Amino acid sequence: MPDDAAAPAIEIPPDLAERAKAAGWPEDLLVMLLGRGAQPSDLTRYMSMGVTAEQVRGFIAQQDTGGGNGAPTTQLDLSWMHVPTEWGTRAKPTKKGLTLEAINIGRYGDIPDVWEFKTEMPRGAVAVPGVEAMGYTIYEKQELWSDNAAALYEEAIQRRWRPATDIAWDSLQPLPDDLERAICQICTHFSEKGQLEADIIAGWEPELSYGYHEVKLYLATVIFEGARHAEVFRKRALANGGGLGIQSTGWGFRSATDARNFTEFIAVQMVLQDSFTLTQYGFCEAFFPHAAEKLLFRLAMQDKARHVAYGIAHLKYVLLHRPERRLELQRYLDKGETMLCWDDKDTATREAFAILLAGGKDNIQQGLQMYDLMRGRQVRQYLDRLDWATLDRRKHLTPALRPYLPAEEAAPARG
Amino acid sequence: MPTFPSVEWFDAIRQLVNNDDSFRRLGTVDARVGVKVGDKLYELTFEAFECTGAKEITENDLRDLDFWLEQSPEEWREMLESIKQHGSADLKYTLNTIDLSRPDGFAKSFDGYKRDAFYRFNQSLQQFFDASAKIDTKFAAGAPA
Repeated sequence: MPDDAAAPAIEIPPDLAERAKAAGWPEDLLVMLLGRGAQPSDLTRYMSMGVTAEQVRGFIAQQDTGGGNGAPTTQLDLSWMHVPTEWGTRAKPTKKGLTLEAINIGRYGDIPDVWEFKTEMPRGAVAVPGVEAMGYTIYEKQELWSDNAAALYEEAIQRRWRPATDIAWDSLQPLPDDLERAICQICTHFSEKGQLEADIIAGWEPELSYGYHEVKLYLATVIFEGARHAEVFRKRALANGGGLGIQSTGWGFRSATDARNFTEFIAVQMVLQDSFTLTQYGFCEAFFPHAAEKLLFRLAMQDKARHVAYGIAHLKYVLLHRPERRLELQRYLDKGETMLCWDDKDTATREAFAILLAGGKDNIQQGLQMYDLMRGRQVRQYLDRLDWATLDRRKHLTPALRPYLPAEEAAPARG
Repeated sequence: MPTFPSVEWFDAIRQLVNNDDSFRRLGTVDARVGVKVGDKLYELTFEAFECTGAKEITENDLRDLDFWLEQSPEEWREMLESIKQHGSADLKYTLNTIDLSRPDGFAKSFDGYKRDAFYRFNQSLQQFFDASAKIDTKFAAGAPA
């Protein structure tokens, strides 16, 4: 049987043919490219980048003469020097230096609603046919995007700190046993939370496709900050004559570890959990007895507030672009809030907070009242942030949190 | 000797922090921060590694800010005198501690997201006010001595 009888006919999709005509790409070039395995979406993209038919033919010719398998040849290839990307880009440093936002210029600043490449190809580079897929699962912008991701990445890099040397550990003074035990229990809890957040986000990173590097880079800093918090709170527990306490019950964590999609994880972890943790860090800044510890918590608050900023901006983006997901988000928060309230069964951490807030075990009842004040502030700030994301949560708040609403805002229970 | 509150006083602090390597090392700050002292209102603009401006504003301008710090002239004086005495905020007078000690809060905003700038840049803001220990401050008439 002749070869040409076995070769499948190359069909040019009508919309591609139309775009090619407008771009001046002849039909025979399209047939050749499609026959070599090029994807129509790639070709459309090159056309929209202004790549000419001549550039494409030149690039292919050079690949054909210089490519091939086996050991590297001594003959120079250099076809890569004619790659048809946007050339002549000259990003300018800003007052903050050459930031991610500053290099999002020209075609490199186009952030598509759907990323079509399954490989680790950087956004704006030219795809090479045949590269193996990386197994990403998240390709839609609305699934992961937040408009502040690039700025938060730069902020996280600029505002990093070093627990080993930035905190005056040798300034800590011996404390009464009950207070030291309470502080060590709280630090055990925070250290565990920090490590867990780093672990879960590290698990999500390989799911996020390469087209949204701003988010991937920012989340890399969150992983590092989770590690930093695991480190710094462990150090505090072991720095002043105490030791670690008991582990958390882990109820609150489960809704984050069990999240089945990325936005669910972000809603539960970086909006709900991190919002509540941020308020706890604030109370610790106010009530831990040493200046060194107060600095520690101010720096930790900065990190945690960025996590919340990413999470809440992501929810806002989702609601703006996929308003039909509103009820879905409410359900994730229903589950997350319920599990978070189960964490109050973690009597060790709750009682430790009460001792810290009251200044000692003798006043623990007063401390429990202050714990409730802290919970009230956690709820108010969480709801205020959700308001900004256009998600009114007051009528949906889980019953165990509803008593902490200001009286005028308390809504009847859901039917 | 600059008087608190006044643009002159905030400019004196701006000069100090903008020439302080340790303030720069804390990292970038992007925030429009209000300071409310009785009925006097000021805006501090932080951009990149500096505090780039201080000006007097009105109540109508508050909505444009990320957040503002509000307490009575007496409470401001108490805070700044404590900073002067200790060289920096002592345990009771950090910005965050003051915020938690006031039922209505100290850092206020019309916006639940923008208010978080108070947390994101907290140490830089603390260092800004701590720098006031390096100058002599005259307090405006009306604040008790």
